[in-house]
Amino acid sequence: MELQTYLNNMMDPAGLPFYPLVFQVLLVLTFALHITMINLVLGSTFVAIWEVGKKTTYSLRLAKALGRVITVGLSIAIVLGVAPLLFVQVIYDPYWYTATTMSAFWAMLFLLVVTVAFYAAYGFYLGNRQADTDTVSVRWAWISLLMLLVAGLFIHMLTMEQLEPQMWKKWLIGQHGVVSVAGGEFHGISLGRLLHFFIGSLAVTGVFMMLYHWYFRDRADYDPGYLEYVSKTGVKLAFWSLFPAIGAGFWWLGTVPDGFHFASNPFFLAGAIMGVCTTAYIGTASEKPAEKAIFSALALFVTIFIMCCAREGLRMDYTGAHGYSIFNYRVNPDWPSTILFFATFLAGLYVLCFPAIAAFKAGKAPKGQVVSLDPSLGKTAVGVMVAWFAVVAALGLFVSLKNGVLF
Amino acid sequence: MYPFWEVPFFTSGIVIALIATFHILPCHLATGAFWFLVYVERKAVQEGRRELMEFVKRYSMLILIFCFVIGSLSGVGIWYAATVASPRGISGLIHNYVWGWATEWVFFVIEIASIYVYYYTLGKIDDKSHLMLGWLYAWAAWISMIIITGILAFMLSSGKWIETGGFFDGFFNQTYWPQLLTRTAFMFGIAGVYAIIVASRLKNRAVGHELIRTASIWGIAGMIGGALFGLWYLFSMPEHAKELGLQGGLPYLKHMLWAAGVCYAVVLAWFFLCGLVRPKLAGPVSAIFILFILFLGIGAGEGFREGVRRPYIIDQYMYSNQIIAHDLPAKGVVSEIEKYQEAGFWNSLYFRPENCDLETKSGRMQAGRLIALYQCGNCHALDRFGKMRPLPTLLQNIAPESPEDIADFMDALGDYPFMPPFAGDDKDKAAIAEYLFSIIRR
Ligand code: HEC
Repeated sequence: MELQTYLNNMMDPAGLPFYPLVFQVLLVLTFALHITMINLVLGSTFVAIWEVGKKTTYSLRLAKALGRVITVGLSIAIVLGVAPLLFVQVIYDPYWYTATTMSAFWAMLFLLVVTVAFYAAYGFYLGNRQADTDTVSVRWAWISLLMLLVAGLFIHMLTMEQLEPQMWKKWLIGQHGVVSVAGGEFHGISLGRLLHFFIGSLAVTGVFMMLYHWYFRDRADYDPGYLEYVSKTGVKLAFWSLFPAIGAGFWWLGTVPDGFHFASNPFFLAGAIMGVCTTAYIGTASEKPAEKAIFSALALFVTIFIMCCAREGLRMDYTGAHGYSIFNYRVNPDWPSTILFFATFLAGLYVLCFPAIAAFKAGKAPKGQVVSLDPSLGKTAVGVMVAWFAVVAALGLFVSLKNGVLF
Repeated sequence: MYPFWEVPFFTSGIVIALIATFHILPCHLATGAFWFLVYVERKAVQEGRRELMEFVKRYSMLILIFCFVIGSLSGVGIWYAATVASPRGISGLIHNYVWGWATEWVFFVIEIASIYVYYYTLGKIDDKSHLMLGWLYAWAAWISMIIITGILAFMLSSGKWIETGGFFDGFFNQTYWPQLLTRTAFMFGIAGVYAIIVASRLKNRAVGHELIRTASIWGIAGMIGGALFGLWYLFSMPEHAKELGLQGGLPYLKHMLWAAGVCYAVVLAWFFLCGLVRPKLAGPVSAIFILFILFLGIGAGEGFREGVRRPYIIDQYMYSNQIIAHDLPAKGVVSEIEKYQEAGFWNSLYFRPENCDLETKSGRMQAGRLIALYQCGNCHALDRFGKMRPLPTLLQNIAPESPEDIADFMDALGDYPFMPPFAGDDKDKAAIAEYLFSIIRR
């Protein structure tokens, strides 16, 4: 059987419930959010360990603050990761499922590794929460960092395997002509690509540290010297890590097949230019990092987002080389469920404003002060949830009665 | 077919079952606990009883660390495990219910945002707003259950969907409502157990005992409701499932139901004894014991639910071995049984060695093993000392005298109410028969 036939045969026979482009856009968007969060967690773990090594009052305080960032960030990153995991299976199922089953053992181990990383992060955070400033233990942070790197390596491998479908058979069947069912394949590491991401994590954390100063600058109970220290360290970190990150990016570019002409891909070009501009802008922020924090963060996120688009373009090149296109997917539009999702999505964005505002305001108030929020804020957020429930329950009862399944 | 992943002795099904059982405890706690929490917090605010806030703080910490770490990871874990065990099964679900999962994901995001903000703003924002954060989490978490239950129920009873292909026709099916209500009731039971554990560790003993009593009332109510709705659920199951599960079609399912029932009774008794009557008895030791019992009971209950679905992974649509069972004209899908019987299963595989010759014995043995893995391996271990319905032992009971006997047995496979028909041509059959004959325990 030809590879192309296999790929096309494995597209799910049920087709897609909506147009592929919509899933693709959602895939890229949610992936960008997920990867930014992962970057922040990875970078923060690294910086926390580094700062503990400096052993100054400020650096230890920063390390502890990052402990909380790591735990909260990791759980958010995991939740955000569910969405791209879902959407990739919708439009690239032949690739995703082949790679995951071939490497099933590693896919399962990945979960264990993330679990350990998570608890180790909690160990670091809770273990140092109450301790005196001059005794911060980094044992757990090291474990967490190591596990995060390993988890990143595994997921990287699963992604890379998908890009070389012409190799699948060779990997799986091997020289003796026996098909492996052990799920132990491990192929396709691209060091440039991996480093581009690992080093990029430091830049994300650096910009986060600039935001940290910006956010807490009005709090009377925060030592301005400390905040200054955090943002200045952050801006330096961001600036100097962007150079090697870009360098690793070019290394990666060098490994992309020439036939794709990826260097002239508009998304790639835009991303590269944006990356250089962001670096230059952050370079100008070294004097007053807090003031330029918001704009730096925006610029960096836009860069990441465009790069995620470029990454998707690259995937289309790789998959297109074997005659696969998500736009050949049969579509059986299912409007009711599509509307359900988009309506929920919009409602969800609205609802999220409430916890976001609550957190933002509470964090800005000095210790001991109780912040009062507009009571209608919470009430409408909860109201939206109740309304969602009422609508869906009514719909459910209607469908159930219509189909006669209730009694 | 995608590559196959063989888990020696146990089959990949056991991996899913284990992770799934680990998932149920924290996830039902995550959905149920905040209703109790908000109830206590409201009491604290309205009656000015600040001492209750100690409980609120500790309980939410437990939910955060335990539910969010284990809950979200094991949730993703089930997904990964299902992917590597049955990629086409999960693909089939996702391609019909992607918007369902995407919608659920929106609520996950709300959950995680509201629980962290809830925990970290305790005592930092006004009482009313804080309470609203609690409500927000409680609703978001319960709604995520409302959604996932639809997809779970769909797998057992796909309802009108098989005719229309409509999202909601499959979602709101005959087992949906009873299952949702059963889970909703039991989540209060699970929340009650955890609340008692936390309350028993409070320094203020009087408050602790008061909360233990309240939590056990919630728990008992949840357990009783769960049992009633659970009975409704059993009645609502499709005939086929009732035959397998309740009328002895597959005897082990009845045993599982019994086991779940015994665990249920123990938990209920514990609520009465260590909750209502003698709150002093509710210490860490008895709590760990009861958690263990809960774990067993849930494992048995969910195992039953999964078991009665046989031979399907998606009711009426796809068999447990990932082969599409029936046409779904609404989506242009055709059954694959005939396809494989005509074109041959082995011939249709992409991942097979080109030089494997079915005319030779070694070729047939190799092909036979792979065909057996694909067609039987999701439900049977092939190893001699396999733990999960090992074929070497099961075949021994049938006592075939030659590979031809097994080939004949293959023709009758679909007559068992819990096994899919064999999907392959005569060459496939000869290969699998020869292989299976060689592994029989003698
Ligand atoms: C959907 C899951 C499933 C699949 C797929 C499946 N089986 Fe089974 N099989 C079962 C169950 C359940 C039993 C009952 C075991 C018991 O009674 O403990 C069973 C029992 C058997 C028995 C014993 C029958 C008897 O009368 O004692 C044999 C032999 C058997 N299976 C062979 C196979 C073979 C060969 C295949 C693949 C071609 C296969 N099964 C595929 C679920 C399955």
